Amino acid sequence: MSELLLQVKDLAVSYHGYAGEVQSVRRVSFTVDRGETLAVVGESGCGKSVTAKTIMRLLQTPPAEIKEGSQILFDGEDVLRFDKKRLADYRGGEAAIIFQDALAALNPTMTVGNQICENLLHHSKMTKKEAMEKAVDLLRMVGIPQPERRVKQYPHEFSGGMRQRVMIAIAFACSPKLLIADEPTTALDVTIQAQIMDLIKQWQEKSGASVILITHDLGVVANIAKRIVVMYAGKIVERGDSRSIFYNPKHPYTNALLEAVPRLDLKNKQVLASIEGTPPDLINPPKGCPFSTRCKYCMEICCQEEPPVIPFEEGHEASCWLYCLEKPCEDAPFTWEGRSNDR
Amino acid sequence: MKTLIYFARRLLIMLLTLFIIATATFFLLAATPGDALSARVERLPDVVAERLYAKYGLDRPIMERYVNTMTGLLQGDFGDSIIYEGQTVQSIIREKGPISARLGIQQMLLGVTVGLLLGILAAVKKGTIWDYLVVALSILLISVPNLVFALMLQQVFAGNLKWFPVIGWPRENIWFGGWEYTVLPTLAGCFGYIASYARLLKASMLDVMNQDYILTAESKGLSRGEVIRHHVLRNSFIPIVTQLPMSVAMCITGSFFIESVFSIPGLGLYYVEAVAAQDIPIVMGQTVILSAIYIAVVFLTDILYTIVDPRIRIAGGKR
Repeated sequence: MSELLLQVKDLAVSYHGYAGEVQSVRRVSFTVDRGETLAVVGESGCGKSVTAKTIMRLLQTPPAEIKEGSQILFDGEDVLRFDKKRLADYRGGEAAIIFQDALAALNPTMTVGNQICENLLHHSKMTKKEAMEKAVDLLRMVGIPQPERRVKQYPHEFSGGMRQRVMIAIAFACSPKLLIADEPTTALDVTIQAQIMDLIKQWQEKSGASVILITHDLGVVANIAKRIVVMYAGKIVERGDSRSIFYNPKHPYTNALLEAVPRLDLKNKQVLASIEGTPPDLINPPKGCPFSTRCKYCMEICCQEEPPVIPFEEGHEASCWLYCLEKPCEDAPFTWEGRSNDR
Repeated sequence: MKTLIYFARRLLIMLLTLFIIATATFFLLAATPGDALSARVERLPDVVAERLYAKYGLDRPIMERYVNTMTGLLQGDFGDSIIYEGQTVQSIIREKGPISARLGIQQMLLGVTVGLLLGILAAVKKGTIWDYLVVALSILLISVPNLVFALMLQQVFAGNLKWFPVIGWPRENIWFGGWEYTVLPTLAGCFGYIASYARLLKASMLDVMNQDYILTAESKGLSRGEVIRHHVLRNSFIPIVTQLPMSVAMCITGSFFIESVFSIPGLGLYYVEAVAAQDIPIVMGQTVILSAIYIAVVFLTDILYTIVDPRIRIAGGKR
């Protein structure tokens, strides 16, 4: 068995709307090893959720269209070519997903227990009674008190954090090999966020599954992900292990994202940093680098040609023209080693 | 306890509503020019006319009549018909109610069943020719008044093809006999139900299908059929549940147009005739009884809601 669990190759997804074709994901490639946590980071509309849904084959086609040449290899099989029967086993059984808004993601007219059982009954030969017992165990595992009573309740009787725990219980039910967490903590307050992330981390260590963590919050990523992929406007602009991304960001966008994370040591005196401008319109994506319109270091060539992928240390690479200059730019982010020291 | 207070409050509101309806009906009828007897007494000697007026209390001042009528209502006595000698509201409803009810129930059962099936078809096959056909059909059915369909059906199936009798209604075995009489009126009346329920369910299902929990259901590996049966249908039936009891209540009141076209001696026809003849006791009585049924149905709907949608439970009700 190889180390590799998931391999996304040249994934491109477009939405066909009234205004034209929105190119949500533009040739994205990444891999996930067994037992690894990969974080996909980027702001709203950069295509990270679409990528997640595509891996689960949850996109509605149409309006979405997965372009020719895209490949998603799960254990060597192409998910995009799964037939109905294979897909039914894959979804929920081998790969599971957690959504951002747990209230919206749970059926309001079905008891929590039944929603968990559904998964179990579909993927194993349990009886209804056994499944219900398993559901109680699962609820206990995700830290819901009095699971015997709670299992008969409806989602609206749970608090926000508890609902997300229920979602996690549903996702864990059949011990999937891959868990996709699509902004699992965005709708929760900070203390609950940490608990939920811990829960996912613990389960992952126990089961050895892989996790793709999708978020726009770099703070969430820091101590859970081994590798980070930074997406912008449907493309991956930088990737690397989390140490190099946090301490040695190469792409101006990653750098700007890190600057936007509020710092505890500055107390209330800091002005929150933001990135000027808005992401480009993906109906007409810019010809050159997608970040060129907002980049502090934008050069002529950035607006004309797509930047090449520049490799740095092992596994760390960024797509930026800055690193193709004959003479390094004075204030460019790659001279930022100094900054990481005074942190 | 809270549940009890809730029911008591609802009951009070229902009674108040009925009171307002009765009062409004009374004064509206009183405000119309002429009265039930004016056409009849024209050629009678004054003494006889006076006696007739006195018999029905129409010679009294309006406020006195109002008080008399309302006290009568409280005791369940709506008074005798002015036009039809010796008939009371109760006897008329007892006699004509079942006729209208059978027609209404048949229309509704057929219409709602077909409507819901078409709605599911349109939602599941969204964007295909089936969807467009259902939408076009419901627009057609909802825009053309059922009177037109009634006449067309009568012309084609009774007149030209002679498959069914042109007019009439079974006299014996009022609930189950003489189905050949009921086919055309039932068809003519069910189109409205088909159109509204198909559109309602389709819109509701599409709305539910866009919810995140449908993605969750799909992500569990459930098939499309399972997702629709276990997750989409129940949630999209919530608007249907509000609509359905209203339709049931409408059944009993009868339909004036269809009853006229097919000469069905039902409530709807009689009701409209009573208004035209200013038969005040009958109009008052029917209005109050039908309103009471309607209000009770609305109340039942609220209770039904809590069964379909667990989020709506009467405050403090049992958990």
